[in-house]
Amino acid sequence: MSEIAIHLQQVCCIAEGRALLDVGDLSIGHGERIAIVGHNGAGKSTLLRLLTGFMPAAHGRVDVLGRDLNGSPAPRELRALRREVGQIHQGLHLVGRLSALENVLIGSLGRVTGWRSWVRHFPVDEVVGAEAALHAVGLLARATTRADKLSGGERQKVAIARLLVQRPKLILADEPTAALDPAAAGEVCHLLAQAARNATLISVVHNPSLLPLLADRVIGLKNGRIAFDLPIATVDDQKLTNLYRPDEAAPAAPWPMTASNPSKLGRRQIFSNQV
Amino acid sequence: MSVHALANHVVNRFSGRLGFLGLTLIYVLLVAACLGTLAREDELSLGRNPLANLVKTVGEFAHPSFLDVWFGNPQLEYKSDDGTVLRVENRQEVEADYLAGLGRATWTTIRIATLGSLLGALLALPLAVLTARNLAAPKPLAWLAKGVLDIARSIHTLVFGLVLVGIVGLGPTAGILAIGLHSMGTYGKLFAEAIESLDMAAIDAVRSVGATPDQVFFNAVWPAVLPQFVSSHLYVWEFNIRDSTILGLIGAGGLGLLITEATSLFQWGRLSTVLIVIVLMVSAFDAMSRRIRQALS
Repeated sequence: MSEIAIHLQQVCCIAEGRALLDVGDLSIGHGERIAIVGHNGAGKSTLLRLLTGFMPAAHGRVDVLGRDLNGSPAPRELRALRREVGQIHQGLHLVGRLSALENVLIGSLGRVTGWRSWVRHFPVDEVVGAEAALHAVGLLARATTRADKLSGGERQKVAIARLLVQRPKLILADEPTAALDPAAAGEVCHLLAQAARNATLISVVHNPSLLPLLADRVIGLKNGRIAFDLPIATVDDQKLTNLYRPDEAAPAAPWPMTASNPSKLGRRQIFSNQV
Repeated sequence: MSVHALANHVVNRFSGRLGFLGLTLIYVLLVAACLGTLAREDELSLGRNPLANLVKTVGEFAHPSFLDVWFGNPQLEYKSDDGTVLRVENRQEVEADYLAGLGRATWTTIRIATLGSLLGALLALPLAVLTARNLAAPKPLAWLAKGVLDIARSIHTLVFGLVLVGIVGLGPTAGILAIGLHSMGTYGKLFAEAIESLDMAAIDAVRSVGATPDQVFFNAVWPAVLPQFVSSHLYVWEFNIRDSTILGLIGAGGLGLLITEATSLFQWGRLSTVLIVIVLMVSAFDAMSRRIRQALS
């Protein structure tokens, strides 16, 4: 666990003249489970995109899984990195017109190359592995259903099954439960935590009740900077409320979800650390 | 609150409706001008006795020539004025021959439409890739491709046909090329739109597992674009089946040739037969293509 998976030093990401992310020093060990919290535009997604080379750093040192992402890495280098990094995004991050099983098999594209991957004629052991992964997330019965016919929760489960097939060393989850109802959100988080047993897991989470499921360590981002970096046990409601409060606002704006949906989710439920 | 502000308010409040009112007025004036000038030039007449002509034509149309295959006179005698028999004709045989010729012409029309559509689609594919905005081809190339497509789309198939008959001579080849060149414009626009409406999330999903560009193309781009390509191909093909029936008028072969023949000999019964065949063929193809396009979506 002591080995370093990710190391950032004086990293700055700039887009359209605005600093999206400005991180002094951050290191994450292999097997750690990290949650990133922060207001919209705090730099959470930018951080995840930085780690997969989809967003270049303006300056600073970025090391991910022993690979140096400085300057402009060769496409080959980036692809090699992305094969080891599993990603789950909010919304539909699947190929809508392919079946659930084919989407899971996308995870094996790093190993299956050439014409076989063009016509999606995967080796038998990969297909068996994909079916096992679908079984693990409870969706084997929907294997031949097209991805755009699945519900939001089912889509995220297919994405998790894809992770199981991809077998990444690092998993990045960007608001994996954003569009899900509370029951489905809990289920998806459990499955995600299981899928990440042998990997480093970094997730962007808005719902505090899901934090303990996915993380041991919480990093709070505010305006692109790290506001706090603490073990989960010491993160309380007050710290989160402060994090989401606009800088100059005098009356403490309540937490975004309570404001937008007060009837469905009570304040207690939102701020409770219980699962 | 000055007068100026008030005027601004009024303009903002009503400018949309005033603009529409103005356009409507212009349209009404244009229609009135068209009608007025035609009436002044005395070009709005319906001929000397339109009603009698209509009844006569409808009567002949109501007796399509193919009925003669069964009900025609097997020994129709052509006589001269003094009563000597010049020639005896078996109407049933003659019309059966005509029907066979009609079948061959229909097949020619289908061949022109099919090959012309395929040619248009193949020509349009690279141009569509160049014009699709999200693929960001080099600007000069994109403009050139867009120009070619716009020109192809704005020139009618018949005009292409007339020019091509002069170049490659009479026959189906001219028709195939004409259909291909005109529908290239339509295909280019439809294909480019299909590429522009690509599902970027799917592409990201495949890219994010470290897939190579060829894997991204075959696993994300191709599955998304193919059904739309097939659907637009069927749509334009269907359109070209209709279009190619007219191409015979300029000597490109097929059903159009029979239409010219029948009209210039005033054989309305035969024209009626040809039109029935066209309607049957077009609606059969429409129904089939609609089925396939629905299944693909």
